[in-house]
Amino acid sequence: MITVGIDVGSISAKAAVVRDGELLGSGVILTGYNARNAGEKVFVDLLAKLGLDKDAVDRIVATGCGRSSVDVADKAVTEITCHAAGAHFQDPAVRCVIDIGGQDSKAIAMDATGRVTDFAMNDKCAAGTGRFLEVMARALELDLDGFGEMSLKADRPAAISSLCTVFAESEVISLIARGERRENIIAGIHESIGSRVVAMAGRVGLTEPVMMTGGVAKNIGVVRALEKKSGKPIRVSANAQVNGAIGAALIAVCHS
Amino acid sequence: MEAIQRLKDSCADSKAYARRWKETTGGRVIGTLCSYAPEELILAGGALALRIVGGSGSISKADAHLQTYSCSLVRGALDDALNGELDFLDGAIFPHTCDSIQRLSDIWRMNAKTGFHLDVVLPVKLNTQSARDYMTAVMRKARTDLEGVLEQTITDEDLQTAVDTVNGIRSAMQRLYKLRDDRPGAIAGSDLHAIVRASMVMDRNDFLSSLALVVDTLERKPEPGSTAAKRIFLSGGVCNLPDIYGVIESAGGAVVGDDLCTGSRGLTGLVDTGGDPMDAIADRYARRAICPAKHAGITSRGDDLVRLAKASRAQGVIFLFLKFCDPHAFDYPYLKSMLDAEGIPSLLVELEAQTASQGQFRTRCEAFMEML
Amino acid sequence: MNGAEKPIDPEKEKRKIKSVGRMKDIMTHYYIEAKTADQTGKKVAWITSGGPVEPLIAMDVIPVYPENHGAMIGAAKMGVDLCEKAEAMGYAGDLCAYARADIACATVDGGPIGGLPRPDMLVCCNNICGTVLKWYEVQARYFKVPLFILDTPFSHTEYTREAHAYVRTQLDEYIAFLETQCQKKFDHDRLAEVGRLSMAGQRLWQQVLDTTVHRPAPMSAFDAFFHLALIVTLRGTQTVVDYYTELLDEMKTRVATGIAAVPDERYRLLWDNLPVWFRTRWLSDKFAAHSACLVADTYTSSWCGTLTYLDDSDFLGSMAQGYSRVYINIGTDQMADMVVDMVEKYSADGLVMHSNRSCKPYSLGQYDIQRIVQQKCGIPTLVIEADMIDARNFSESQITTRIDAFMEVLTGA
Repeated sequence: MITVGIDVGSISAKAAVVRDGELLGSGVILTGYNARNAGEKVFVDLLAKLGLDKDAVDRIVATGCGRSSVDVADKAVTEITCHAAGAHFQDPAVRCVIDIGGQDSKAIAMDATGRVTDFAMNDKCAAGTGRFLEVMARALELDLDGFGEMSLKADRPAAISSLCTVFAESEVISLIARGERRENIIAGIHESIGSRVVAMAGRVGLTEPVMMTGGVAKNIGVVRALEKKSGKPIRVSANAQVNGAIGAALIAVCHS
Repeated sequence: MEAIQRLKDSCADSKAYARRWKETTGGRVIGTLCSYAPEELILAGGALALRIVGGSGSISKADAHLQTYSCSLVRGALDDALNGELDFLDGAIFPHTCDSIQRLSDIWRMNAKTGFHLDVVLPVKLNTQSARDYMTAVMRKARTDLEGVLEQTITDEDLQTAVDTVNGIRSAMQRLYKLRDDRPGAIAGSDLHAIVRASMVMDRNDFLSSLALVVDTLERKPEPGSTAAKRIFLSGGVCNLPDIYGVIESAGGAVVGDDLCTGSRGLTGLVDTGGDPMDAIADRYARRAICPAKHAGITSRGDDLVRLAKASRAQGVIFLFLKFCDPHAFDYPYLKSMLDAEGIPSLLVELEAQTASQGQFRTRCEAFMEML
Repeated sequence: MNGAEKPIDPEKEKRKIKSVGRMKDIMTHYYIEAKTADQTGKKVAWITSGGPVEPLIAMDVIPVYPENHGAMIGAAKMGVDLCEKAEAMGYAGDLCAYARADIACATVDGGPIGGLPRPDMLVCCNNICGTVLKWYEVQARYFKVPLFILDTPFSHTEYTREAHAYVRTQLDEYIAFLETQCQKKFDHDRLAEVGRLSMAGQRLWQQVLDTTVHRPAPMSAFDAFFHLALIVTLRGTQTVVDYYTELLDEMKTRVATGIAAVPDERYRLLWDNLPVWFRTRWLSDKFAAHSACLVADTYTSSWCGTLTYLDDSDFLGSMAQGYSRVYINIGTDQMADMVVDMVEKYSADGLVMHSNRSCKPYSLGQYDIQRIVQQKCGIPTLVIEADMIDARNFSESQITTRIDAFMEVLTGA
């Protein structure tokens, strides 16, 4: 049986193909302004890459904030349930998932079977999300991809205390003006996200082992900041960014 | 159902309803800011109590008086008052509630043109004899104050008649709640919400007759309730967003009970009849389901929530709080842990009046139903 | 801190308030006594900052103030960490930061003094806010100790007969509560004596604050924030009377010898709301750099603001009124009148209002007070958005710009 998960997020659209409990492949594209097209495109591109025909696919589940606009999907399931399923698939020991996405961050508690037992999400403010990182990267005139590595070179992470993204941005700008090292500023930004997310995750318990999923998990600086703030080791899934799509594909199996 | 539609129409634009009521009857309309406003006294004074649960649009004028860290109810209500949307009011009654409504009362009194202004400074604790004595004294004072501003005497007979009406409403509402608990989905969440809202807006006698019709019809026509849906109990404060019920229902939930301020909370407890009406009214306000800004014991709200959630066989509880509502936010951790101890999962959603069924709320509800 | 290695600036040294050391000693001694209460067999009561402490003193119960502790947490810049802990426990980040910090601190014995001593009882008076009620409910559940609530109805426009009778009855209930908790009879003569000391302390504190009527002011509101701790925590004891007598003498000497809190004081400002505890030094320097002195504030004067209602000869009888009619338990318009009076009394050239995210009863209504002060006094006003201890709600660059612009308006630059 072949199933597909399509995860349409606010920044990127992801797809994953699973055959009989095995991940066949995955793909990522930018969502752009048309979520409907992005969901379709990431799906078609991935099938082409894998040399699969549409008819070979038994079932498709869509997830992410654009999940209801994916016409090819048989069903829409929230990213909370999908991330839990994906994380459980990648590492069955995991009991807590931290997913930092473009506009949402989430903490998900789960039981030994991968079932969600509790979850918490950020409020509508951007602090503690991927968007926050983007705003800060813009203020620093840096490419976000280098953020993680750069922050590891910090000797003294700068204190960035504001919860408000706009205020935090002005803090970053005054740090730049004061001649603070970029590495320290970036590490400070990561710690600010870490504090915010750990406080939110505390509400669901942060039971170990903890796994981080979502695109921001590629940023080693954020992972280290989460470890520092929580005092717990964080596992990063190999397919962090497509974890939600993998979960969706797995859920498609259960629902057929 | 026609009767439900009539109730929905009357509260769809509560201000228009009250204005029309005033034109037709020549009666007086009093805005109230909290479910502890003594409805019985207002009704006995021949006036219409119009509960204000927020504003009608975006905030403009209120921002000159209130910081953005006050809740959308307080900011919205003040905005309406300052925009002249409530100029038809003959007066406003502010029962003492929380830190925000307390200051709203001052700011309103100093700036709004909505007729007379009465503060009914109720006790904050309700579980001692002296507090109950004070409650009675405050209610008596409110009666005298109302007589003064309305320039008419409120007799014990007037009170008795008003108590009968309000008791009638509360009993019928309890039947309706029972009916929904037995047959979830027999009445849509948004319909029940509309009926509760109508109970805070409409001419109370008209409301009672329409309500009786609705309840009778529903009771006679037993439609099997939805069995597949997850039984959901709502806990929280003011939630004047009819859309959220649709979101919960389309996510696969059926609301089977609530303790909301815009729900059953203000409709609990009947006034005893036979004795002194003022004593009985005060007693009912001390006994009714409690607002978190008041105190009846350190676990009273948790005990009530667990009891109600279990009685309605709720599979999950959704907490609906207005952002910046301190009393609710302080109670949340202990309420959640009491529910956890009973194995009842819960979901917390912070709302602001203007942001109804946005994507995140839908996602949270759907994920919660998936979890149950 | 090892001050000996730094060069001493004689000008700065001269302006330092000498009583500070003694004040620190008293507070240290007080906290040691409180933290060792389990060894001395004394009972500890946690009480709200506006609560009636005199009956506790009369019963030899050690009063402990989570709000004073909150201020210490803020000054030690430990607020953010504890607030984040509370948020992880499920408390919304919008709640009062004192409450969040205290609730978290109780579970980890954190903060600058390793946590407060465990309470034997809780005494909550809601004359300062409704928040304390919820906060003390949390602590009553956590510590599983009895909670006494003194409910002081809010006076929007009047202090009613009904409210007075209610509060007066509750004071008797309070005494009965203490008799049960301490298992001894309440000594009314002792309360009368404690009441006299309390009022003497309040009068002295008012006199200390009044020394800033002098130009240049011998102390600033930032000094008052510090010296306030005694009238809050040890009101009703001889210690307070002695200390403020000494402090008053020092202030009188400073006036006589022309020692100013801010050298070259040119502008006199009035502060409204709680301090920004984690930035008092920064703010003080900021204003001083503009030759501006915060000569008075609405906050520290709250602990002597109801002397007119209190009666030496019938302290218990007058407590109901004295505790019900405190500064933030009254209508916004009455608060505005008091601010106007203070502007006149202290010859303030401007008003600085701290819009404190943590404190709604103090902050909501500030915009109206601001307008009234502008109309009646014709002075410039400034609102700073911040928080008393949660540094995450403080934007240095934004506040710098606001203060600089305000001073430009004030000086006509």
